[in-house]
Amino acid sequence: MAIWVETERTGGLSRQLRSSMAYVLLIVSIIPILVGYAWLLIATFSYRTEGLLPKDAEGHVGGWTLANWAFVTDPLIWRVTLNSLLIALAMVVGVGLASSLAGYALSRMNFVGRRGFLSMTLILHAFPSVTLLISIFFVLQAISALPGFGNIFGYNTVGGVALVMVSLDLPLGIWLMKGFFDNISWDMERAALIDGASRFRVWWEIIMPQIRPGLAALAIFTFLTGWSAYLIPATFTIGTKVSNLPVYINYLMSETSPTNWNQIAAVGLFQMIPILVFFFFTQEKLLNIYSGGTKGGV
Amino acid sequence: MRVELRNLCKRWGNVVGVDNISLEIKDSEFVALLGPSGCGKTTTLLMIAGIYKPTSGEILFDGRIVNHIPPKDRNIGMVFQSYALYPHMTVFENMAYPLKLQKVPKDEQRRRVQHVADMMGIGHLLDRKPGQLSGGQQQRVALGRALVKDPELLLFDEPLSNLDARLRLTMRGEIKRRQMELGITSIYVTHDQVEAMTMADRIAVIKDGKLQAYDTPDELYERPRTLFIAGFIGNPPMNLINGVEVVRDGEEYLARHQAFCLRVPAERGKHVAAKGEVILGIRPEDISLADDGQDGMRGEVYVVEPLGRDDLVNVELPGNTFIHFLADPALRLKPGTPVALCFNTEKVQFFDPRTERSLLWH
Amino acid sequence: MEAVVREQPVEVVARRRSLRVSLEALTFMSPTMLLVTLFFFVPVLLLLWISLTNLSSNTFGNPLCVGGVRDVCESLGIRAGGVEFVGLSNYRRLFSDRFFPKILRNTLFYVFSTLTLFNVGLALVLALLTTHIERRAGFLFRAIWLLPRITPSVIYIMMWKRIAADAPFGILNQFLTPVGVEPRFWLREAPWLFVIVTNGFVGASFGMLIFSSAIESIPRDYIMAAKVDGATTLQIIRTIIIPLIKWPLLFVTTYQTLSLLASFEYILLLTNGGPGLYRTEVWSLTAYHRALQTYFGNNQWGYGAAWGFVLVVIGIIFSIIYLRVFRFNELVQEPKIDAL
Repeated sequence: MAIWVETERTGGLSRQLRSSMAYVLLIVSIIPILVGYAWLLIATFSYRTEGLLPKDAEGHVGGWTLANWAFVTDPLIWRVTLNSLLIALAMVVGVGLASSLAGYALSRMNFVGRRGFLSMTLILHAFPSVTLLISIFFVLQAISALPGFGNIFGYNTVGGVALVMVSLDLPLGIWLMKGFFDNISWDMERAALIDGASRFRVWWEIIMPQIRPGLAALAIFTFLTGWSAYLIPATFTIGTKVSNLPVYINYLMSETSPTNWNQIAAVGLFQMIPILVFFFFTQEKLLNIYSGGTKGGV
Repeated sequence: MRVELRNLCKRWGNVVGVDNISLEIKDSEFVALLGPSGCGKTTTLLMIAGIYKPTSGEILFDGRIVNHIPPKDRNIGMVFQSYALYPHMTVFENMAYPLKLQKVPKDEQRRRVQHVADMMGIGHLLDRKPGQLSGGQQQRVALGRALVKDPELLLFDEPLSNLDARLRLTMRGEIKRRQMELGITSIYVTHDQVEAMTMADRIAVIKDGKLQAYDTPDELYERPRTLFIAGFIGNPPMNLINGVEVVRDGEEYLARHQAFCLRVPAERGKHVAAKGEVILGIRPEDISLADDGQDGMRGEVYVVEPLGRDDLVNVELPGNTFIHFLADPALRLKPGTPVALCFNTEKVQFFDPRTERSLLWH
Repeated sequence: MEAVVREQPVEVVARRRSLRVSLEALTFMSPTMLLVTLFFFVPVLLLLWISLTNLSSNTFGNPLCVGGVRDVCESLGIRAGGVEFVGLSNYRRLFSDRFFPKILRNTLFYVFSTLTLFNVGLALVLALLTTHIERRAGFLFRAIWLLPRITPSVIYIMMWKRIAADAPFGILNQFLTPVGVEPRFWLREAPWLFVIVTNGFVGASFGMLIFSSAIESIPRDYIMAAKVDGATTLQIIRTIIIPLIKWPLLFVTTYQTLSLLASFEYILLLTNGGPGLYRTEVWSLTAYHRALQTYFGNNQWGYGAAWGFVLVVIGIIFSIIYLRVFRFNELVQEPKIDAL
């Protein structure tokens, strides 16, 4: 039911009128979003598009084709897809693990410096981390110089990109996880301690299973962030070998001439598949987590 | 196991949770920590468990200071108000968890869990998850989990307050029975004085973090040392009448009030005479209707609350004084009925209104 | 264990215990501490340092190998390059840059218009509308409004590029031609419009979600009472809803100001600061361009870092304001286990 409008008194025509006006305004507001997606879908399966109309070679409406999807036979696309997937999975595991460890300690352990860490997490959560890309470049250069380690996590490696992305999303993850831990019964944890478990076992065997829904929400969020990442991979990688899908798509858009928009749209839709799957099946979780205080972007 | 608390204190910044509590619990004794919510009784229990660290003072198990021994090495079992069962584990896994952590072999785990579960009457539920059990069953599992590791000390934190009244009665008896059979020293936190009275060997009454009294239920009931205990112990609670003056009248003592004048036995009256205005306490069950012709104190029935076996009758005495007493429902008292009441003066209590301490028992 | 307790004074054991508890907690914190140090603390300090040097492609080397340290670096085989400590000259250069006034104006214009029109303005309208209608429908519209945010930036911008494209490809032209508007290359002719709209469509959802959950938590009695008193919808919004969501409004405004100030990803992808010279170049994009993305392969890290560090200072100030004004600290509950 509507939250703030319906009362006995205003039932009837005027209320219906006003509520249908709200619908009209909302539908108008989402037109640009729907148009964008409509174009993506139409362009993907057509020879070329003028506006939203698919056109064939002679300029007539029509020209439906699957030719744009020929890229799926290109090994390169699978290489960049794999990179995207690796970054996304690294985000899920890295942010999930580090922030659930830190979130647990901040929520439920008494230790020297706890308040300081909490304030730090909050400040970093609001802090515009993209401003640090310039110096992170040099940090990655330094990691590159480390023997062995540098080949995996240094500059121009998928590992390096993942490491930076995990770090920049940590404050958000910690803050969210801490919130989930805050809601777990203290008695349950006390019972486990009396039963003889160490704090580490309590965390892993007793508390973590309780916050599975929260973990899932964080996993979806970090997966999407990693999967969609453009700026950081674009900044810290060179060449298509280590680039991910968004960087590759942007490369197709800006470096190939003439730009084959329809083919790029197909790659774009290809990348959107997991996102749309998550969108359709986990809307509620997504809405919750994004209002939980995301950052970056805008 | 003997437990001793010495000058135990717990503060959070300026907030005082427990204020200088000292008491001793004998081996296999059942002690209740009784007090209103927020009085510090659960905090005391959690310090004994090793969950909270005392700000000062000492906790001794069998004469040994255990302040810095972590909960897992204290050999205690604890039952919580919320049961605190692990919802993702089955009943068996819940009960076997302490054994698993002690690295007890698998088949011995099974044997011990089955034994305790059968004793608790939940042997057929071992494969269920806690969410599929009723409140009473969950509490049995929680008790079983506490017992399965053969603790030397059992701690109960309001274990029955989430159960319905009937089940509470059953479980009350059951816990008492198990404790006696096994002879495990037990500390039982409750805000329900009936629970404390019926189960405990001794009761520690706590208020505002301070120990008010530590005695057997009978002592607390018959000889309340403070006004708080008098009002807190006993159901329905004791009537407390302000502005009573006790004077000596030859060999006798008279308690005088705007609404009445009572003859008080000398061994009680002599402690109170010429102390100025005091508070007189009398339990509802020590008040009865005056027999015909007997000279009772006159009043008018204000409200009648049927309790089943008795009626709890609130009577208005002159001077806007109200007192409760228990009457036979067969009398069918109605609001407005004039009554004459008789006090059993052998049982009256007197308190100093300033110190709130008993004038009879020290 | 028991023997230890008997033999040692209680205070010594206590101290050792609390140290052990802190160490245990620090173990939980250690992955975070490592990453935060590597990618937040070190970069902030490094950014300040680099902004005080002449580090660029011409002088490329380890930024720490300056002055006397250079010989040490070279003996260790670390590339020192020609990095020199130049004091505040990057900052002087920044403020006397020919395009500084334009970039500053652009930044203020961009932040202010996106914020008022979309991130707060439209967000509030959407929150009011979606809480006004049937609950499920409101939920659906909010979900759709989340799409721009979860769409990868590259694909999202690709859509807008096609919407704003020249005839015959542009979708906007296709819609406007029938009503008599001349087809044009919108992205080139009205770049600001699209910079603000693309950012705004992403930005609006954040405020929308925060505001609508705030509106949903307003006790219904207040609104009922106002209705009974005969208030109109607009009066209810102005006199009841807005005052009651004052804090979320303030939070979204400050938070989004900082986000807008620092973010540049969508502008980078849409116009890359153009068309032409610095038409839509904003402060954060300038820092990025100078330091990390140049057409001539001349990365001026020192100079770019100066641009960037100004934003870092603003970011730190804003972050501390959040902590004080919104008192997040007071929401933090104390752990209810001391654990020995």
